Amino acid sequence: MKKRMMLALAVLALIAGSAYAQGTIKIGGIWTLADITGKQGSAAAQLAVDEINAAGGVLGKKLELIVVDDEGKADKAAAAVEKLATVDKVDVFVGGMASGAELGKIPAFKKYNKVVMSTGAAGSATVEKALGPSPDSDFYFHLHPWDYNQGASYAEGWDAIQKKYPNIQIKKIFLAYEEGAFGKSSWDATKILFGSDKRYTIDGASFKSALLGGGDYTAVLEAAKSFKPDLFLWAGYDADALPLLEQSKAMKFSPGIYLGAPPGWPIDFGASKLSPNVMLYGMWSTAMNNNNPSSAKFFKNYVAKYKEEPATYFAPLAYSAVFILADGIKAAGTTETAALVKALEATKYASPLGETITFTPSTIIKHQGITRQKILQWQNGDQQVIWPFEAATAVPVYPFPAWK
Amino acid sequence: MNRNASRIFAALFGVLAVTLPFFAGDYPLQVARNIMMYMALAITWDMLLRSGQISFGIAGLFGIGAYAAILGVIRAGMPAWFSILFAAIFSGVVAFVIGFLILRLRAMYFSIVTLALGEIFRIIIHNLHDFTGGPEGVVIQKGVIFGGDANRLYWLVLAGLAVAVAASYWFEKSKIHFALTAIRNNEISAKSSGIDIFRWLLLAFVVTSAIQGLLGGIFVQSYGFATPDTVFSADFTLLPLAMALLGGVYSTTGPIFGAVLLGLVSEWLKLKIPYGHLVVYGIIIIIVILFMPQGLRQLVRRPAHKADGRNA
Amino acid sequence: MVVKRRTAIIAAVVALILWKPTVLIYGLQAAGLYAAVAIPMGLVLGIVHIVNLAHGEFMMVAAYAAYFGCKALGMDPLLAIIPTAIVTAIFGWVMFQLTIRRALKAPELNQLILTFGLAIAFTQAINLIFTSQTYKMPLDYVSASMDIGDITFGVWSFVFVAVAIIFAYGLKFFLTKTMTGKAAVAVGQNPRGAAIVGIDVYRTYGLVFALALVLVGAMGALFLTKSAIFPSVGSPFTMKSFCLIAMAGIGNIPGILGASVLLGVAENFLRAFRPTRDWAEIVFFVLIIVVILARSLKGKKS
Repeated sequence: MKKRMMLALAVLALIAGSAYAQGTIKIGGIWTLADITGKQGSAAAQLAVDEINAAGGVLGKKLELIVVDDEGKADKAAAAVEKLATVDKVDVFVGGMASGAELGKIPAFKKYNKVVMSTGAAGSATVEKALGPSPDSDFYFHLHPWDYNQGASYAEGWDAIQKKYPNIQIKKIFLAYEEGAFGKSSWDATKILFGSDKRYTIDGASFKSALLGGGDYTAVLEAAKSFKPDLFLWAGYDADALPLLEQSKAMKFSPGIYLGAPPGWPIDFGASKLSPNVMLYGMWSTAMNNNNPSSAKFFKNYVAKYKEEPATYFAPLAYSAVFILADGIKAAGTTETAALVKALEATKYASPLGETITFTPSTIIKHQGITRQKILQWQNGDQQVIWPFEAATAVPVYPFPAWK
Repeated sequence: MNRNASRIFAALFGVLAVTLPFFAGDYPLQVARNIMMYMALAITWDMLLRSGQISFGIAGLFGIGAYAAILGVIRAGMPAWFSILFAAIFSGVVAFVIGFLILRLRAMYFSIVTLALGEIFRIIIHNLHDFTGGPEGVVIQKGVIFGGDANRLYWLVLAGLAVAVAASYWFEKSKIHFALTAIRNNEISAKSSGIDIFRWLLLAFVVTSAIQGLLGGIFVQSYGFATPDTVFSADFTLLPLAMALLGGVYSTTGPIFGAVLLGLVSEWLKLKIPYGHLVVYGIIIIIVILFMPQGLRQLVRRPAHKADGRNA
Repeated sequence: MVVKRRTAIIAAVVALILWKPTVLIYGLQAAGLYAAVAIPMGLVLGIVHIVNLAHGEFMMVAAYAAYFGCKALGMDPLLAIIPTAIVTAIFGWVMFQLTIRRALKAPELNQLILTFGLAIAFTQAINLIFTSQTYKMPLDYVSASMDIGDITFGVWSFVFVAVAIIFAYGLKFFLTKTMTGKAAVAVGQNPRGAAIVGIDVYRTYGLVFALALVLVGAMGALFLTKSAIFPSVGSPFTMKSFCLIAMAGIGNIPGILGASVLLGVAENFLRAFRPTRDWAEIVFFVLIIVVILARSLKGKKS
């Protein structure tokens, strides 16, 4: 008698347990948690999940975010996908930053064929190639722009800026690029997109980023100085920002436009005396809170929950990713891949990044999200948006002041 | 543990290793693959260590093999399995050539030179971007070997590990053992006993490098891509070293224990402590090496076991 | 032989000054930084015989301490050099007593892995507390510059050259002219012999380690002026320092200066020309191998 009762209870518990488990829609998030982009990206994703759950969840169920660290390595990233897919049995995937780790995930993603909302990987030469064309890669929604998207967007941007502000004229562009994949792809994209335009003369030189043990920009700045560019652009990391400016000042190198394109900036860069009128490429800044309600809402909630400001665009990007997924699941009525893909293709999400996100084909894959970047400028300690003009928060200050 | 007990244990372990795909899910298989890759590298590092030479160049030979394999597929249309063998041969030949130059060096000078060579290989691959794809790397268009089948990928790495284990046992059970141990203990008396030091060092260096290249080939075929930063990562040098030391050097089982310890701990810690697991990881390394200076092996072996020469 | 080498060096210097003076200027500045960071590691390696894989990380921790100390007290990093050096030395001495000292009886490789573990622990602890974002103290004097002819160059980095020279010759004086220093050298050359003579070997090791960390701490504060700091800023310096020490010869501290100059100038020479720019880093490693091999071949001959 006792045995039968125990058995019955066990079966009940199992059913209850699985029913409870069926009560959530699971999102598997993979980020490099040791890096600020991953730490804040996963935090922003969790914020989005909390907001959606507070508003009633999705299809009557709560969202659950399960995060696994990929440690920035391909083999660990692959293990993260396996764990989320087989142990946690997630319904969809989100996350990503570095192209190298993304490459490790792709074979596993393809195996499970669940929808992936990717917030990283700009390296088209490898990642887009590894994904391959539709329909095999249709499960993969690439939110982050590819390197060529970024280059094309900047070409468009500078074109528009020169038309609107005729005192800004650019003929010679010098790109100082860090010698890794990020810098090299920026150089290739710049050469192709600006170099093919007969208006511009392009030159460039590579340097070893301070992030990887370099930090000596004298050679590259000497080359830039002798080229006398109208626009000096550097593609590196946050560790390079101030030292580059300090060494430029020491060498009395002050081009008309001093433009930095790191994924993030050092803490308190805005407070530095060297920051005014430095231009930058980016996707989001706190200045957007002033004219973009979606950005303001995200920022307010993020700061309220985590007591710190988002440092890079990866935070609002991850936040957007979760909302896009949630909207798609609502529209599809299921997390089943084919239906969800179809629903996501109709996405029109007004994101905190200042644009309405839709998915269109890129060179190889079918579902590319953001293709436009922004051109901003440090003014009064903040990153003000200069272009696109619809999202602009300030007028450009030109030229970059000569060193005193 | 006496001989028979350890033989039975080894046999059981082997059976478990081969049959794991039949009762473990894809996630444990992936973790096992990662661990076995480092385990095999740790064994090869130990094999050279038995001669007294400390290599800091594992990543260099692993990376060179990796690129040999992937470029063999992309540029020469090699079939996947052949590219892996090609990787082993390529690394072996490279090691043979550089062996003539560097095997005259000893102690930290040898170590630094192996490190420098690894970096030189990485920079060459990084700079010849038209041929190698440069810093962005290259991708195998048709994808991963075996179409990504988790079981077969597991067996592939297991095969690589088996090669390393077999080579290590060969080194332990044949006269190579006496030669290397003699060289490690006292080169002068080794030489006067008639041992051709250079010949044995070259053998050890070439064999271990070839296996490291083989593993590099297996790695790129398993993931379908290579970038200089991924395949020449310092992790491939430092982690096998730590594993061999924590497990117990001058043995085959030591690196195995060490790899299992560090590999499992690393993955488990990550799941339990998402932020900050690496701090604990570092502390664990410190504690293990302080309290078990001869490695985990000393838990299994009795200290009186001096038959295979000095341990320190 | 020595005369020929000296004339060759003078000829090379003059040629550079006439042709590409910036190579010499920036090469010397880079050399100063490399040498100043490498010398303390060389001291520890030469006397305590441990390869401290956490060397760069100690400097990183010192830099963070200096940064936050300066911010909190509104100080300039230059004023923080001495306090940071002392704090770092104490911290390092404590670490030494807690961990490294216990491993000294174990094989050298154990010590290597121990410091490897320390490096990971330090880097990740700092990462956990301060995140991976970069901190940089913006300072005006770092952009100090000078004009000679038609070249304008920064002069702040020459401070590292001065520091490196002070470290090298200061240590040389300490090791050859003072009682403690001579005892330390004796311990480095023959620990057992030194113990028999009555020198407290472990106390000497602790002292030498602390002394090295005084230098590392000072460099941490100074480094802060020129470079941005982040958790993994130290590790490339560990490897570079190790390479420089091997190139100079273990135990040869003034030799580190020469090795650094050779590497700094060679690197900058290659960076000055477009076709060779990408290969500047490789010259570092090629030269190391050439020098080490040449020395080994010369040794065999004699």
